[in-house]
Amino acid sequence: MKYAYIIVQIAFLYCLNFIGITIQNKFHLMIPGSIIGMFILFCLLNIPIFKDKWVREGSNFLNKHLTLFFIPATVGIIQYSSLLNGSGLISIGIVLISTIVTMVFSTTLSFFLSSRKEQNKEQLVRSEFDGK
Amino acid sequence: MANSIFFIAITIILYLLAKKLYSHVSFPLLVPITTSTFVIILILSSFHVSYESYMNGGKWINIMLGPAVVSFAYPLFEHKQRLKTHFLSIFISVLSGTFIGFISGVCLSIWLGLKQSVILSLAAKSVTTPVAMGITSIIGGIPSLTVVYVMIAGISGAIFGPYLLSLLKIDHPIAIGVGYGLASHGIGTAKAAEYGEVEQAISSITMTLSAIFASLISPFFIHILIK
Repeated sequence: MKYAYIIVQIAFLYCLNFIGITIQNKFHLMIPGSIIGMFILFCLLNIPIFKDKWVREGSNFLNKHLTLFFIPATVGIIQYSSLLNGSGLISIGIVLISTIVTMVFSTTLSFFLSSRKEQNKEQLVRSEFDGK
Repeated sequence: MANSIFFIAITIILYLLAKKLYSHVSFPLLVPITTSTFVIILILSSFHVSYESYMNGGKWINIMLGPAVVSFAYPLFEHKQRLKTHFLSIFISVLSGTFIGFISGVCLSIWLGLKQSVILSLAAKSVTTPVAMGITSIIGGIPSLTVVYVMIAGISGAIFGPYLLSLLKIDHPIAIGVGYGLASHGIGTAKAAEYGEVEQAISSITMTLSAIFASLISPFFIHILIK
């Protein structure tokens, strides 16, 4: 029965995604359709008559298995054996460096911004989450 | 038809096995996305199966990425109240981090003289796949090549993340979540989940916000940088 709920909810999320893509194409927007779909769902969730349990199971399922959905796209690397030649390797190196720079920069910045607040806040936030 | 079902089944089975393996040996290089992809590539190349025929089945799994992005609204909503407390610091970090991720990749590529089509394809590398593909097709790159760079950014972040964080001596759950979500999108979020629920929630929120920011700023800045 739980799986029936999950399937129906994912079908609903799929419809929102489809609506998002339709809106994007119709108005030639620069924002991807799935993000528009996400905005729509976020707005729906904030409407009192829309119960968040209507999408909870489906959303949790998709989030839990996010890695699975990435696999077919990642296997696509197989088509780009040219990435292993000179300029391909440079581009991979750039992506590695840029990823490390981004991570170091953003963790350091948010670390300073977040811990500028009282030190105990961290414990507080953590216990709030865990107590949920 | 039978082939399609076979490829769907083998992808799911390998994913479950990879997850099982990772729960026993949580060595950074063995994140499920690396091991399962590696085995599939091995299978495809040893039986001389083309990517197109694999995707006859694979597309049915791939199609779930759209609804998965839509579902990001749920954690955003669920942690709305708690987020308000740290809203400003998350907002500032994500906005500037998205910008750094974009600029550092594009500028390094221009400096090292990469082809324009490659630069346009790697610009969106820190953004979650479905959105990155959308951005790339809008700015005129090759979406399927973007996927490769997005995966490299995701996997490398999950592998280097633990070392970088211990080097920087950062153990703040919000900083950890922001770092993984920004540099490594969905794969980073899966990694952040290993630290705890706060890190996972912050990471998925960061990934979502950065996808929104990136889709707003990339088309604009790419025109300034390239031309």
